[in-house]
Amino acid sequence: MQPFALNYARPAVELAVATPYAYDSGLQLNVLGDGRIAACDHALLREVGTTTSTAGSKTHFDD
Amino acid sequence: MTVLILTSEEDVTADMVVVHLNGSGVPVVRLDPADLTGGVSLSGEYVHGRFRGHLSAGGRLVSIGGLRSVWVRRPGTPAGRAPQPSAWLTEEASQALYGMLRGCDARWMNHPDAARQARHKPWQLRLAQRCGLPVPATVITTFPRAAREFAERFPDLVVKPVSGAHPQDPPRAVPTSRVAPDTDFSAVAFGPTLLQRRIAKRADIRLTAVGERLLAARKATRPDADPEEVDVRFAAPGSPWEPVEVPARTADAVRAYLRRSELAYGAFDFAEDADGTWWFLECNQSGQFGFVEVETGQPIARTIAEWLSRPIPDEPAELDEAGSTVR
Repeated sequence: MQPFALNYARPAVELAVATPYAYDSGLQLNVLGDGRIAACDHALLREVGTTTSTAGSKTHFDD
Repeated sequence: MTVLILTSEEDVTADMVVVHLNGSGVPVVRLDPADLTGGVSLSGEYVHGRFRGHLSAGGRLVSIGGLRSVWVRRPGTPAGRAPQPSAWLTEEASQALYGMLRGCDARWMNHPDAARQARHKPWQLRLAQRCGLPVPATVITTFPRAAREFAERFPDLVVKPVSGAHPQDPPRAVPTSRVAPDTDFSAVAFGPTLLQRRIAKRADIRLTAVGERLLAARKATRPDADPEEVDVRFAAPGSPWEPVEVPARTADAVRAYLRRSELAYGAFDFAEDADGTWWFLECNQSGQFGFVEVETGQPIARTIAEWLSRPIPDEPAELDEAGSTVR
């Protein structure tokens, strides 16, 4: 009784990377431990993959 | 005039735009509807034929009438983090927030009505056809026989979710996957199934449209790529994304798509075949762009910030009940 498309499902891989930044509500930006703005560090963004198009998101399917 | 951004705190992609807005001195209020009624508050009154509304978040207070644009980026479920969340409270919070915002004159990226419509993949395929974009042969069906007959006509097929959503109980992902020619299609009867002719692609194309501006990136398919891995989101890291020019005919068709869908932003996915044709796969009305900018250096965040910063066009004067001109 399983729909056809689910024959091709695989376990969702949750993003296990702990992001090295935290939201600062005063700045309305995520900042690194040393106070730098995370979004300005493209090498970091590439490394943590949080700006990447993914699939299997629990809350969003607009990738 | 303020830019309102509806998104989660951890949305670092939105940060890329906030940085540019800050740099140009445009006031920004960022909030997550999930934080109603904790860190986010709202109030609006309709008195003497006028509306006055305010939003508050993170110590900032903004007049709804003072919004120039609303960017619906990655908002959480309204009141989703309330002390006692419920479906009823979510509906109340959603109606209050989005109901008030819908009444303002701000420009939307994207308007909720346009966004809701644009999420329907079958609708996307038809609109793409109407706009002149090449669409791979596709069938969406619950008839196993229709699926079998389609597979006879187009033996090299992929299957993908109709909605783009993924099952959560338990959490699973349903990537675009190849379907073997001798597949048993009887399970098609248990759920609408989208089958599509596989494009033997030599590259993936991600075209990010911001207003009238189109920024395209291309990721070449490696010669040694696994032919079974057709979904770039699941494939092993390969070639980098690189900027690419948008063919004139494609650009015209994409702009027509945006006009007819009333989208201010869209992330289009294409498969480029051996002839260089860009085959339309889908348009994500809130698709990610950060990874493209990080790899290509294309100024997507800045372009979004510029779009959000534009002043709202002059509204035609309205008449009040006494026939006087009001603003």
